Amino acid sequence: MRKGLITMAVLLLSGAMLFASAAPETQAAEGPIELKFWSLFTGGDGEFFNAMIENFNASQDEIHMTNDMVRFDDYYTRLTTALAAGTAPDVIVLHQARLINYVPSGALLPLDDYVSDEMLADFQKAPLEACRMDGSLYAIPFDVHPIVMYSNKALLEEAGITELPQTAEEFVEAAKKVKETTGQWGSLIDNTTGTYKAYTLTRLFVSLVNQQGGSMLTDDYSAAAFNNEYGYNALVWLQELLNEGVNPNELDYDAAMNMFRLGEGAFYFNGVWATGTMEQEEGLDFVASPLPPFMGKSAAWTDSHTFAIPVQKNQDPAKVEAAIKFMDWMTANADQWALAGNIPTRNSVLEGEAFNALPYRADYAAAVSTVVANPPTPAWGEIYETMSDLLESAVTKNEDPQTALDSMESTVNEIISHY
Amino acid sequence: MRNRKTAIYRILEVLLILIWVFPLVWMVITSLKFENEVVTRNFTFLPENPTFQNYIDAFQSTYILRWLLNSLIISLVTMAATFILDAPIAYAFAKIKFPGRNILFWAVMAGMMVPFQVLIVPLYLQFNSYGLVNTLAAAIIPRLAMPIGIFILRQFYEGIPDALEEAAFIDGAGRLRTFVRIILPLGKAAATTVIILAFINAWNDFLWPLIAINESQKYTITVGIANFQGTHGTQYSLIMAGAVIASIPELIFFLIFRRKIIDGIAMTGIKG
Amino acid sequence: MIPGNKDTRDGILFSLPFLIVFVLFMVYPLLFGFYISFFQWNILGTPKFLGLQNYAELFQDAKFWSSLWHTVQFVLMTTPVLLVMGFLMALLVTSKSPLKGILETCFFVPYIFSMTVVATLWAWIMQKDFGIINQVLGLLGKEGVSWLTSDKNAMWSISIATYWWTAGFNMVLFTAGIKQISKEIYESAIVDGASTFQSIIHITIPLVKPTTILCLILQIIASFNVFGQVYVMTGGGPAGSTRVLIQYIYETGFSYFRMGYSAAMSYILFVIIMAVSVMQYVFLGRRND
Repeated sequence: MRKGLITMAVLLLSGAMLFASAAPETQAAEGPIELKFWSLFTGGDGEFFNAMIENFNASQDEIHMTNDMVRFDDYYTRLTTALAAGTAPDVIVLHQARLINYVPSGALLPLDDYVSDEMLADFQKAPLEACRMDGSLYAIPFDVHPIVMYSNKALLEEAGITELPQTAEEFVEAAKKVKETTGQWGSLIDNTTGTYKAYTLTRLFVSLVNQQGGSMLTDDYSAAAFNNEYGYNALVWLQELLNEGVNPNELDYDAAMNMFRLGEGAFYFNGVWATGTMEQEEGLDFVASPLPPFMGKSAAWTDSHTFAIPVQKNQDPAKVEAAIKFMDWMTANADQWALAGNIPTRNSVLEGEAFNALPYRADYAAAVSTVVANPPTPAWGEIYETMSDLLESAVTKNEDPQTALDSMESTVNEIISHY
Repeated sequence: MRNRKTAIYRILEVLLILIWVFPLVWMVITSLKFENEVVTRNFTFLPENPTFQNYIDAFQSTYILRWLLNSLIISLVTMAATFILDAPIAYAFAKIKFPGRNILFWAVMAGMMVPFQVLIVPLYLQFNSYGLVNTLAAAIIPRLAMPIGIFILRQFYEGIPDALEEAAFIDGAGRLRTFVRIILPLGKAAATTVIILAFINAWNDFLWPLIAINESQKYTITVGIANFQGTHGTQYSLIMAGAVIASIPELIFFLIFRRKIIDGIAMTGIKG
Repeated sequence: MIPGNKDTRDGILFSLPFLIVFVLFMVYPLLFGFYISFFQWNILGTPKFLGLQNYAELFQDAKFWSSLWHTVQFVLMTTPVLLVMGFLMALLVTSKSPLKGILETCFFVPYIFSMTVVATLWAWIMQKDFGIINQVLGLLGKEGVSWLTSDKNAMWSISIATYWWTAGFNMVLFTAGIKQISKEIYESAIVDGASTFQSIIHITIPLVKPTTILCLILQIIASFNVFGQVYVMTGGGPAGSTRVLIQYIYETGFSYFRMGYSAAMSYILFVIIMAVSVMQYVFLGRRND
């Protein structure tokens, strides 16, 4: 009988918890405003972001942020289901390229009435304007994060390379030389799905197509535009690195990062967000520089993390105000975010001492003018992920480049037709 | 000759045991290492400086205890509710002659063939419209419509002689009393099987809680660990520490109910 | 109806609680899902009626067919092996070995661990650069194997993790089946001079056939529903070579929010599983009787 009573008690208690939903809890009159935030920062910059949240919480006592880290591949799934269910957190982070998936359905709060002109005036034009749709501002840009090139100085020195390669041919030569003289890998471009898809291939492919003057989609975003010599050159070059044996095959994102950290390769490509992780590695002497103009002009894939406020059924003005304060603080103190490697978006930070004291950042921040904007079409998210799968297959299996491009083109057109 | 053969068998068996247990041992060993001993080219089997730091970090950087509690609540409620719902209808199917019984029975059994995955999209939309997404209840309710428990219980109840029931009726007992006093106690073994299976299935459920719950404090341990792995891709020793913590309650559950779990599963085989 | 007989009332009352749940959360979603499969709907916007277009598209969708094929591959790679392993384990566990208790516990224990723990653990064991298997191969001077990053190996690697995880379940079923065979049959076989091996072939295997069929059915259905291991261990990679159907359904539904298309695919999967199950009942069930 006692057993039965205990069971009953457990059941009753759990019954109360079962229906507890994430609906906005009533705010206690006293104490700080609690804001919830979901983060997708897992690619090397996560700990820097967590540290920033802690600093924000310590810097004032009106607002307390709680941060939830979500598996990157699940982030937008979680976000969309939460938006549909009305259980989204108070502030969210979104890639600029994804804004178009959420703005038309009215899921995000227009911010124009809440942000001061004074604050907006401090922002860089391009990233800020990218957050505006149909004349309204839907997000505040937190960073810009283009793809850059990381080079291991010790290995280059050992191989007798004094100048960083600037063209596609020079790069292959340099990589070969490293391989021959040091026995380590020439380049570490990840090309296989692991924790992440082979995004690096897509990022490089987009960059290389644009460097030749091409673009991924047609001007009206209605069809693929890379099935031409631009796409061909880009794909062949990515394959060549494997065929020449200077880049490992079946290399996933985490492995590439680990190998570069351990000094097992001379060149490594990733977003700027990896800089901070590399700097923490003892005994790694490296340099991070803007993506070289391998195939003509300077151009590099980029995206931007932005903050936005989901529309809630009962929008609490106090929370909106607090959220804006949070965004203001985060962007104004983005020199801390630059520790991870990311490029700040506010002039006051870019010109500030703290930021300019950091190595490399100023160099690649200057190159931000040559970044490639993501096509503003809701299909881009799916195109980007699917291209990563197809490029992975084309590169790791050394598929015939023309056949591979043909199939990429038809797949991309197919995707566009669904939106 | 015979002795040697036996000895070889014993050695092979010991080898098998070692192979089977090794992954678990390796999980624990990894969790006690520092990260730089894990991601290294200078491989060592045992940790040079064993550390509990990963466990501290796992507790601090996740809601792992919450996840365990959530899983426990979900599994216990599923277990209890499954039995409360399944036993009466199984009894009706086995012992009460009412019109339409056979059609109803086969209709319910057909539900056993429906792969749960077919239901995820409509169920999600359904729960979303009820405002139940992101609650633990959402993780439980769809499981209760699974008829497997009915199948097992009905088989068992059918084997209970009618004479026992009739004796109770003659003594003036009603249906409910007969069911509670006679059938349920006699069907204890089948009931144990059903609730153990319900518990294990609920504990291991992955796809549905992954979709139905979108806030990390409400994750189940299965979803939580997957998320943990996805957000700490290369911190293997930390992930293994999380996996060890996640496994301890299951191990305890198993050690306590070892015989009952195994016999319970065995029974589905004999009765099925 | 005999006067005073309350069978009809009782039957309904006893069935009702479950039936309500069953109709609400099984029958209704099944019909609702079928309805959705005729629409284009991204859950944040309004649904648009498409007619049969989702189904028409499905037959031309190479990704759908490749995902279905990967699922079938997984079924073929796991089912026979798991049956044989379960049976062999059951033989050990029912033998006279003094270690049989320990063996049973060891074989069964992985099954109680949750799928994500198992998948995470094996992903680490099979990690290409720092995983234990390749580290040991490295010490022996051998080249490491691309367990999860090569499309030739990835599905096998996932299968290996699955063997370790679930073989114990089948073992329990087989053990029960073997224990039901009466000892006298074996004894008379020994009298006739049969070896252990012969009695396994001629007595055990034929007599556990009902268990074998049960295991087969359960296993095929379980393998058709594979998702979690793949999702955690490879994410469907490399290059989508392990993307199984459930994962594709999940992605279209909950990453790209094409609810209608996702529902349409679920229905095709449903029809396939139904067909396989019915075929099993008809062929195996009948011969068994």
